[in-house]
Amino acid sequence: MEDITVLKREALNQIDRCQDLPALEECRVEYLSKKGKIQGLMSKMKDLPKEEKPKFGQVVNELKSEVTQALENKKKALAEAELEQRLKREKLDITLDAYTPVYGTMHPLNLVVEAIEDCFIGLGYQVAEGPEVELDYYNFEKANTPKGHPARDMQDSFYIDPTTLLRTHTTSIQMRVLEEAHGQMPIKLICPGKVYRRDNDDATHSHQFMQSEGLVVGENITLSDLKGTLQFLVDSLFGKGQKIRFRPSYFPFTEPSVEVDMSCHICHGKGCPTCKGTGWIEILGSGMVHPNVLKMAGIDPLKYSGFAFGVGIERIAMLKYGIKDIRDLYTNDKRFLASFKRFD
Amino acid sequence: MKLSINWLKEFVDIADLSVEEIIDKATNAGFEIEDVEYRGNASGLIVGKVIECADHPDSDHLHITKVDIGEKVLDIVCGAPNCRRGLKVIVAKVGAVLPELTIKAGKIRGAVSDGMLCSLLELGVKKELLADDSPSLNGIEELDDSFVIGDTDILERLGYKDVSLVVSIYANRPDCLSMFAMAKEMAAILDRECRLPEFAGYSDFGQPTTFQLTSQSENCPHFLAKVVNKVVIKPSPKWMRDHLLANGVKSINNVIDISNYVMLETGQPMHFYDLRTNPKREIEVIDDYEGEYEALDGIVYPIEKGDLMITSDQKPIGIAGIMGGENTKILDDTSGIIIECALFDHARIRRTANRLGLQTEAAMRFAKGLDPLAQKKAMDRSCQLLQLLADADGFEATVEYGSDNYTPYEVRESAGHLSALIGKEFTTDDLYRVLKRLDFEPRIEGDEVVAKIPSYRSMDIKLREDIDEEVVRLTGFADLEATLPIMPSTIGQLSPIQKMRRAIRSFLMYSGLNETCTYTLVRDEYVKASPLCIGEPITLLSPLSDVRRCIRTSLIDSMMETLAYNEAHYNENVNLFELSSLYAKDNVHKEHLAILLSGSLQESKVIGNVLPSDFYTLKGLVMALLDRLGFEKGRISIKANDLDSEHFNPYQSCLLLMDNQILGILGKIHPRYAQSFKTSEAAYCELDLSILCEAKAKKIKAPEVNRYPTISRDISVVVKEEVEAFDLLRTIKKAGGRLVKDANVFDIYRGHGIEEGYKSVTVNIIYESSEKTLKIEDIMPLHDKILDELNKNYQANLRN
Repeated sequence: MEDITVLKREALNQIDRCQDLPALEECRVEYLSKKGKIQGLMSKMKDLPKEEKPKFGQVVNELKSEVTQALENKKKALAEAELEQRLKREKLDITLDAYTPVYGTMHPLNLVVEAIEDCFIGLGYQVAEGPEVELDYYNFEKANTPKGHPARDMQDSFYIDPTTLLRTHTTSIQMRVLEEAHGQMPIKLICPGKVYRRDNDDATHSHQFMQSEGLVVGENITLSDLKGTLQFLVDSLFGKGQKIRFRPSYFPFTEPSVEVDMSCHICHGKGCPTCKGTGWIEILGSGMVHPNVLKMAGIDPLKYSGFAFGVGIERIAMLKYGIKDIRDLYTNDKRFLASFKRFD
Repeated sequence: MKLSINWLKEFVDIADLSVEEIIDKATNAGFEIEDVEYRGNASGLIVGKVIECADHPDSDHLHITKVDIGEKVLDIVCGAPNCRRGLKVIVAKVGAVLPELTIKAGKIRGAVSDGMLCSLLELGVKKELLADDSPSLNGIEELDDSFVIGDTDILERLGYKDVSLVVSIYANRPDCLSMFAMAKEMAAILDRECRLPEFAGYSDFGQPTTFQLTSQSENCPHFLAKVVNKVVIKPSPKWMRDHLLANGVKSINNVIDISNYVMLETGQPMHFYDLRTNPKREIEVIDDYEGEYEALDGIVYPIEKGDLMITSDQKPIGIAGIMGGENTKILDDTSGIIIECALFDHARIRRTANRLGLQTEAAMRFAKGLDPLAQKKAMDRSCQLLQLLADADGFEATVEYGSDNYTPYEVRESAGHLSALIGKEFTTDDLYRVLKRLDFEPRIEGDEVVAKIPSYRSMDIKLREDIDEEVVRLTGFADLEATLPIMPSTIGQLSPIQKMRRAIRSFLMYSGLNETCTYTLVRDEYVKASPLCIGEPITLLSPLSDVRRCIRTSLIDSMMETLAYNEAHYNENVNLFELSSLYAKDNVHKEHLAILLSGSLQESKVIGNVLPSDFYTLKGLVMALLDRLGFEKGRISIKANDLDSEHFNPYQSCLLLMDNQILGILGKIHPRYAQSFKTSEAAYCELDLSILCEAKAKKIKAPEVNRYPTISRDISVVVKEEVEAFDLLRTIKKAGGRLVKDANVFDIYRGHGIEEGYKSVTVNIIYESSEKTLKIEDIMPLHDKILDELNKNYQANLRN
């Protein structure tokens, strides 16, 4: 029995001293294998008196499981230590940027268009489209701007032949939709798109630009409905807190016509360089649809009324992002494009 | 239109209003003020007399002067060449504020200088407003003896103490290009009385005349002419010169000034001819003259058929509506004149003026439209002024060609309709009062108010809605509520193509590409034959420049130009896309998607991962995009590009076909084409979205979730170089049957161990069964069969 106590002390000490898994395995073989020292004790059992045998067997078995347990524990401890070592070895320089996924961007003009679309889709509007190469008929005639009308001077146009031109405004889309509606009411649409005017390009003019016009025709539509709708648009583009105001204006296809100013989103009306010290920024033109326009589309102006508005997409983009030169939007410098990560 | 505040004061009492208040009221009533021009703008000025003037010892041009300003004598150093003893001058005292500087006491090269002798230019007067011989152009202003030493009202007396508002006039208000109408408008806006001079009927007299007036052209519907046998040429009175000056018109002499002045007052351009130059006593308007003509600015203009010309005795005497002629102009010894007040077609005048580059005040007014009664008003007013200021006599009766064609009319509106359109309550009285302010002589009939529309508003006011605009314009929008329309609900949603565009944008954006927006108009050499191009390009009638002459028929040149710009600015890894409509002759309209890759699409050099922007990356990107849009691989076929070797490298490009239609072209840019833009050889793809719109996208159907795992095996075969991946994969799938779920090439090897002209292709094959877990033994026979088939069809051998 004393042998057992000695062996036990020896085994546990040896296990404890093991520095790695191979040493531990050696230990296991030395003590627990079939030819190991513990098994060796069992061979002594046959020499024992019969009544001592069970007791001896029990003690040896206890020894066996104690050593096994010690081995297990040591193995776990060694594995833990080894893992700890590995983790230390694999320590990274966390300040290094080894991978920068490149994500692209939408063009700022399309970011604005989508924001306007989303705003109006929420109000139940359709998004209408039409050709950029357009008939004079839809671009001017139907929009209450007959040949020789002085308003045609305001927007000198790119004609292709005497009856066809590059559209000067997306009003032509409205005129097509009004015609195609065949009097089906109500009409609620916005119509974004590219338009063209014979302007020389400079910091504030571009021969090509984008607009999104809107049109609502139905019963009892009023100028105050236009104001409420545009306030909703301004809230959704610039966030709540901007006021709008109407100023009288002139467009051949609306009567009354109004120019719409927004209180400056930079200085909130105090006056700053963006609003040229006035506290107000001109953002769009609008008005009540001219009765002649409704009549030409076969809609009774005594029964129905409507409003229309036109937003300059470049204008919104320039205000929103602080772009100083309209030409920057068409230069497509990658560094410029990559900065328009979102519209918010 | 320039609105002189001094002039306005003659008609409307505005003494109590500041310029800012007037601007504010005008702006709110629809007149945008673009600019405020101060004619002269300086304080602290006094009249002085130079009593001593000596050369500065340290300067070759400075004078040291003593100037008497009454209260004291100042030492002032002056550099003006015309500075001399005895001269009466404008002195800016110490503390005076001029537009560019504030005067301080000091020394100039050692000499004391306690003020400045001024040129009008230094007082903010614009050069254009000075007479050609004004001393201020080359030195200091020289005052005449009417100025007394110590006077301080110098700018007022010189006519330079005035403010002009530069008013933007909308196309519906050409009447406001006249001072009288503008004064009426301002009176209506301010709700004040307007007192205009009385002159109606002043031309309704004269001895019988033999003067002949006619027009060959229908573009001259009305013409009034009158012979005045006696006029005396002399300078105009100061008030007239001041008002002309306020509008940027230089005074010449009383007669010429009257023609300009009456135009400014009434908006009607008019012209006076020297009677001596018209011995035949006739005027004929024609529009078929061809040749050169010298206008009174001394410049010879090329006149074409269609331009309206004033002629006499079959010789031109003026360019109608734009400028008179050198050969008939008023001279210092003119003693008789012919007055012309005519209406010419605005489109004609605009066209001729544009072509000749002659945007005169007269042409501008014709182009915008005139009060239909303006000819008679201008004739009356000019006769009145000629009598008053030019001792005119010997008037002959007015000769009239055509008529003004004007019928007075009325417009009705009710408070009910007005309120319903605006969304704000108006009473009949509100309506009545606004129309009264506008001088529309309103009267109430039942629940309607009837307005007489003055002739000068007839271009603008025709319908009740036009009246409504006047009401909101003059009563203001301040208390207009903001409401949303109450109407039946409608569903707002994007159309399929609009959704597709958004899907394309987001897919390409998150793949690392930047969206561009390039110009539609291009130079025409950009347009080349290729399946990229949708047809014959449309050319503009009058382009702004050769660079923007044509409507593009493909996006490739725009994208290459953008790449060139970016590479010239050392922007690396330029990966772009654009969606755009294209138009060509014969009503061809398509929508294209362009994708351009250069450099690399993704790169992380530290971890050694680079996704090059090459053919395979672009092809993969496009196939994945199409898959995302619902057009899976099997529907797209890839064909060798045998159609366009001009833009594309023929060995690294392909055609994409869907349902047997060419969907687009994809590949590396041809080195020669890249060289023409001085760019790198980018990879480029252009797709016809119209085809995708018409095609039906695959519906998404949820697959059964397979409970059994897949099993994956690789196979490496050696084949000849020309064997294409597509054929190998098709054979594998066919031979493998329904258990082959997918097969993809994942390695191609050439070199050691592989004979020249051959390559080793490794394909990863995924097997899957919906009935059981596949074991190696299940697929070994299939694997052998695949190898057999590959060997049979492509002489493929298993690589050892």
